[in-house]
Amino acid sequence: MTAAARTPYTDRNFKYLLIVPAVATILLVGLFPVIYSLILSFQNVDMMFEDTSFQGAKHYRALIGDARFWESLGHTLLFLAIALPAELILGLAMAYLFLDRMPGRQVFVALLVLPVTISPVVAGATWRLLFDNRFGPINQILGWFSDEPVTILWTVDPSFVYAAILMAEVWQWTPFMFLLLLAALSNVDRSQIEAAELDGAGFWRRFRLVILPAIWPVMAIAILIRALDLFRLFDVVWALTRGGPGTMTETFSIYAYVLGFQQFETSYTAAMSFVVILLLVVTITIVLRRMEIER
Amino acid sequence: MDRRRFMISASALAGAAAFGLPRRANAAAAAAAVEAAKQYAGSEITIVWEAGLQSLDPLNFSGPKWEAATGVKVKVIEVPTAEMFTKILQEHRAGTGAYDALNVIPAWMPDLVRAGALEPLDAMVDKYGYRDELQNIAPVYRDNQMTVDGTIYGFPDDGDVFVMYYRTDILGDPAIQSAFKAKHGYDLPMPPKTWKEFDDVGSFITEHTGGKPYGAAFFRDAPYAQFMFQERFRVEGGKFFDADTMKATVNSAAGVKVFSDWVEENKWMPAGVQTWGFVENLAAFLQGDTAMTISWPPYGRWAAGYGTDQDALSWVPKSTIAGKVGYATPPGGAPQLAAGFALSVSASSKQKEAAYLFIQWLNSEEISMERVQLPYALRDPFRASHFASAEYKSRWPQAPEYLAALEAGAVSGLLDLSIIQTDRYEEALRQGVSRLWAGEDPQAILNDVAGQWDALTDRIGMDKQKAAYAAWAAKPNAYPAGA
Repeated sequence: MTAAARTPYTDRNFKYLLIVPAVATILLVGLFPVIYSLILSFQNVDMMFEDTSFQGAKHYRALIGDARFWESLGHTLLFLAIALPAELILGLAMAYLFLDRMPGRQVFVALLVLPVTISPVVAGATWRLLFDNRFGPINQILGWFSDEPVTILWTVDPSFVYAAILMAEVWQWTPFMFLLLLAALSNVDRSQIEAAELDGAGFWRRFRLVILPAIWPVMAIAILIRALDLFRLFDVVWALTRGGPGTMTETFSIYAYVLGFQQFETSYTAAMSFVVILLLVVTITIVLRRMEIER
Repeated sequence: MDRRRFMISASALAGAAAFGLPRRANAAAAAAAVEAAKQYAGSEITIVWEAGLQSLDPLNFSGPKWEAATGVKVKVIEVPTAEMFTKILQEHRAGTGAYDALNVIPAWMPDLVRAGALEPLDAMVDKYGYRDELQNIAPVYRDNQMTVDGTIYGFPDDGDVFVMYYRTDILGDPAIQSAFKAKHGYDLPMPPKTWKEFDDVGSFITEHTGGKPYGAAFFRDAPYAQFMFQERFRVEGGKFFDADTMKATVNSAAGVKVFSDWVEENKWMPAGVQTWGFVENLAAFLQGDTAMTISWPPYGRWAAGYGTDQDALSWVPKSTIAGKVGYATPPGGAPQLAAGFALSVSASSKQKEAAYLFIQWLNSEEISMERVQLPYALRDPFRASHFASAEYKSRWPQAPEYLAALEAGAVSGLLDLSIIQTDRYEEALRQGVSRLWAGEDPQAILNDVAGQWDALTDRIGMDKQKAAYAAWAAKPNAYPAGA
């Protein structure tokens, strides 16, 4: 007879009983809204009516022809495609810079990380002031260099509006990349780098063959976290442009907010969210496989 | 009693006869509300109020005063304007009863009523004897911002209307006047009565003074500018929809003219005016950087320096133009009754009577007279008695002209568009304005806006929306008189 068989049934399962409240809470606050949203997406609930009858795939069909939805996804991907590499490259460069011991290193690192601690909506509002045409210092500083008053409308002019948003976004989140990559770089085995150096490997060769494989697991997670964050980009854009001019900088999150919480197209927004969840799950699965970090 | 005491007593009696007795008669609704609310002493009601200066009224003045009179506490829930509709509807959907009384922008009222979020007030109006005092609210607010399909859902409580402010010292400067006449061949109009005159005067002042000051500036940021579009579009003869087909006509020649004129005006207004909101425009005017502007009534009070020494208004730039400001209805003579507020009771409140009594008291002749004179609270005159108040007229030397301009606006003012899901139509317009500042073609933008409006109408239901529009358009202040 085994020990397990000798233990009374209730004693063996007591551990499960202990985690029931936590699991139930998670299911309630996590899974229930998801299931409820899925049900909503097949109904017709909006500002005026709570028509809970089954509507089939009506909203999903409407989404296919919703140009604003696809445009908002396109804007989101554009922000992601520019901001993510920029943050990665700048973060890595900064991490390299602070890898060696130097006077005041800890103070500098702490100062550089400060933007991450600011609420994104506050950061956006602050950048809005910085970009202000009349009182903002950015135009003023540019004016010193150009020797004439600069009146760029950063949040209005289509030529500058993406640059403005990306500047704010990259400023705030590059330190996040920097911090993770600094930690990863600090743990790279110095003897391997020195051995490569002795073998005559140049900087890029050392980086590609020794350092990158060593920091890749951390870097991949950092990329994934930032990519997901950028996919739900909202605060900075909302504070700077509210998605404008027109809908030129409207991200998916902003469109979903406007439709769901300002115009109360509840069922339609639920359907929209599920399409995006589906797209994200497929994308993340492919990306994880390619990154070879699914384990 | 000696002769001196007799004279003092006689004077006091005469004073009471002249001022006190009418005031007592007007105090009936307020007193009735206080008496009835004493049964709820010890309870607490919540009221949703616009965040910022507006909410200083219930926080600093009316809330404590109500509690002292009745024992009922008032908890103020501050919500930014852009989120008020959302919060009210979300709370109603959730049915928590967290809100008892509400501030509602009148254009939202039909949507909120259709959603069942507002309590009908007629029965309580009669029960607490408020119907007579409601009649003294200026007709444009009383007849258009109080009822939905004949039922009272809110008390108009804020006389929001656009007023044109102009510098009398600059427009009245003989050198500017003669140079203007030499260039344009007619006397400089003070104030300009048409948009053509306004543009002539504004561009001339900028040219003549080299931008010190600029001829004019406005708030051009889309949420504000869409109100100005609604006004000017109708003044130029535009109609929002074809009443027969319900097709959007916002892309008509009138709409394109307004957008095109705006782009031209920006050329002689301060650089970057496209991004200006309420505060930027206010600062420029009070600092003497612009000679004319159009805005809500608080500009006029603050330009005169009324109450700006109070802590709550410490952010308002000190006026450099007190005593040099004239007030008029904007060009075209039909100003937008932009936004405004009505006081309502939440349908999901668990203390409807207590909430109702508070809003009756707030809105009453007696208490509203005090509230519209609070310099920091942004509530603007909305009753006949407010416009005629000797006390208000004595607040600063030009106050009588200021009140006359507000009263004129309350006669000819244009209602905000109010149909089913108005905000979605306005959102398309706001996007259109921001595209205009991005340099797109006015006709192309307005064609897109019209397309979005048509799609919305189809989605909501052509017949339902047509009926809602017909009801709104039938109101005397939907379009300028004679349009």
